[in-house]
Amino acid sequence: MLEISELRKRFAGGPDSPEGKLALDGISFAVRPGEMFGFVGANGAGKTTTMRIVMGVLKADSGSVSWQGRPLTYTDRQKFGYMPEERGLYQKMRAGEQIEYFGRLHGLSQSAAKQAADDLLQRLGLTERRNSSVESLSLGNQQRVQLAVALVHEPEVLILDEPFSGLDPIAVDALATVLQERCRGGVPVIFSSHQLELVERLCDSVGIVSAGRMVASGTVEDLRAAESRTLRVVVREALPGWADGLPGEVSVTGDRHVLLTTHGDDQEILRRAVKAGRVEHFGVQQPSLTEIFKEAVA
Amino acid sequence: MNGLMLVARREISTQIRTKAFLISLAITAVLVGALAFAPKFFDGPDEYTLGTVNSQQLPLEAAAPDAKFEWRSFPDEQAATKAVLDGDVEAVLVDGTKVITDGEIDSQLGVLMQSIHRETKLGAAGVRVEPLQMESVGADTRYEAARTGIAVVLVLVLFMLIIGQVMMVAMGVVEEKGSRIVEILLSAVRPWQLLGGKIIGLGVLGLINLATILVVGLGASFASGFAADFPPGMVGIVAGVLLWFILGYAFFATLAAALSSLVSRQEEVGNVMSPLTMLIMASYFVAFYATNDPTGTVATIVSFIPPFSSMVMPVRMAATEVPMWQVGISVGLMALAVAGTLAFGAKVYERAVLRTGARVKLGEVLRAR
Repeated sequence: MLEISELRKRFAGGPDSPEGKLALDGISFAVRPGEMFGFVGANGAGKTTTMRIVMGVLKADSGSVSWQGRPLTYTDRQKFGYMPEERGLYQKMRAGEQIEYFGRLHGLSQSAAKQAADDLLQRLGLTERRNSSVESLSLGNQQRVQLAVALVHEPEVLILDEPFSGLDPIAVDALATVLQERCRGGVPVIFSSHQLELVERLCDSVGIVSAGRMVASGTVEDLRAAESRTLRVVVREALPGWADGLPGEVSVTGDRHVLLTTHGDDQEILRRAVKAGRVEHFGVQQPSLTEIFKEAVA
Repeated sequence: MNGLMLVARREISTQIRTKAFLISLAITAVLVGALAFAPKFFDGPDEYTLGTVNSQQLPLEAAAPDAKFEWRSFPDEQAATKAVLDGDVEAVLVDGTKVITDGEIDSQLGVLMQSIHRETKLGAAGVRVEPLQMESVGADTRYEAARTGIAVVLVLVLFMLIIGQVMMVAMGVVEEKGSRIVEILLSAVRPWQLLGGKIIGLGVLGLINLATILVVGLGASFASGFAADFPPGMVGIVAGVLLWFILGYAFFATLAAALSSLVSRQEEVGNVMSPLTMLIMASYFVAFYATNDPTGTVATIVSFIPPFSSMVMPVRMAATEVPMWQVGISVGLMALAVAGTLAFGAKVYERAVLRTGARVKLGEVLRAR
């Protein structure tokens, strides 16, 4: 389990703000093996800073990161896979060689690195680009190479900062499949994203950060449960006033009566609706992650 | 150690495949080769075309074995005068008593003709004059010209190679920092491995360059016959050059890596590196001065002071005989300086290389925890 607890970080201020900027204000969360953790938050909320601290690129002012119950060490991090927010590759190096090189730096043998690079290139649809220099690739393909660099050494933990940004839907699916596989293999995966539908679809749990604090975290289901649920009933051919005495609001368009309510006895409402006319829809509206997110950071 | 070697190998294999590297290597090889043949063209033996009118040829060859003399004989003084004025001959001996020339006679030739004339006359009169015995009590100056030539070429080669490779180190560090690839690299290797690997890799490329220059230069010298003028101890000079290149390069490259890790953009490299390039230039100028006066006080003192010694000492070693103890002390001091620079450079690099954005102040880096 990867545990992040009480991270605080203040960046040195310029002449305008001698106080500096408080980037992290005691952020804590944990990711279990095999769990995919979606990290969401507005720009500047502290996602990147948190990931950089986990990867040792930045030092926290206080707080700790532990892996399997021990403080995270340099040797542990060598087995992590990392995709930084600002992509970086050797522009003049060939795609395949670059992936292999990082595999070797992470301790793979020459043949294992080559094998892993070939596999990833194939998975990400880049086999024909193996010998192209990175600078000659499209941005989307460069991003796939970047991802392959993070994955090449079969990392024990994956930390990916905005891995999906700038990818076309097919690449998104290819990447999602690869991540889900790694995740099923027992690897904790943390990724940040602004594509909330994607996070909702892929992640077991979600953390919403705002101004350096974790304002909500848990499974998407838990977060939904915490939100107020709205019951929506559609009845046709009902007489006006059928819903008198029931909680909520009724709107009428032609012969369509729509009742929206957040409280009341749903079974009683159903009985009244059936009696009143033809029930076309009866269901609880699930708030989307976007709605939860907006609610949480508001 | 593994990481260090992997980084070094990447530097070598990426650079060695570039056209720029191969072309510059080929150009240097051609230039150095041509240089070894140059003395043959500019420094050929003296040649004189002389004439006689009603005279015996003077046995000038006996007195000046290195020069070549060609004699023509003319029927009368009028024909000889015409030939002299046309520039066909330089001097004509008339009747064994006078020499006609067009303007002032070449002073060496004049002295030579006078003394040989006197000697033949005296010989004919039965007087034998023993030639003076020449004996040098000073240093062996036979190879002075060759030594100076070698030293001049050497200082130029060392300077070009060191400044070239050092700039490559600086550009490489900024490339990695600016593209943020350093963040991923440092999640796999230690900063000292990344820094050391880069310095070693580019240093090996420098050595390949230097070795090519030495091999081509020596090969061409043997082919052109210039090698006959080589001073004794050429092997020592060559070994010294390699050693001093390694020391000088290690010193300057480490500082270059430290300084360039303070900036994030290629455009800023020149600026942040300027104190270092000035230091290299200064070493070069002192070393160039030393080729002229390798035994002077300035050259002798500076050949002990790092980092100047890395260019001045090899020049002194080529230009004159340097006692072994002096070389030893100078190498020792330079090695100490390199060790100090490595410690300092690694610290600065480690602290600065992840701080992207605006230029990091050196003082700030040194004060940080």
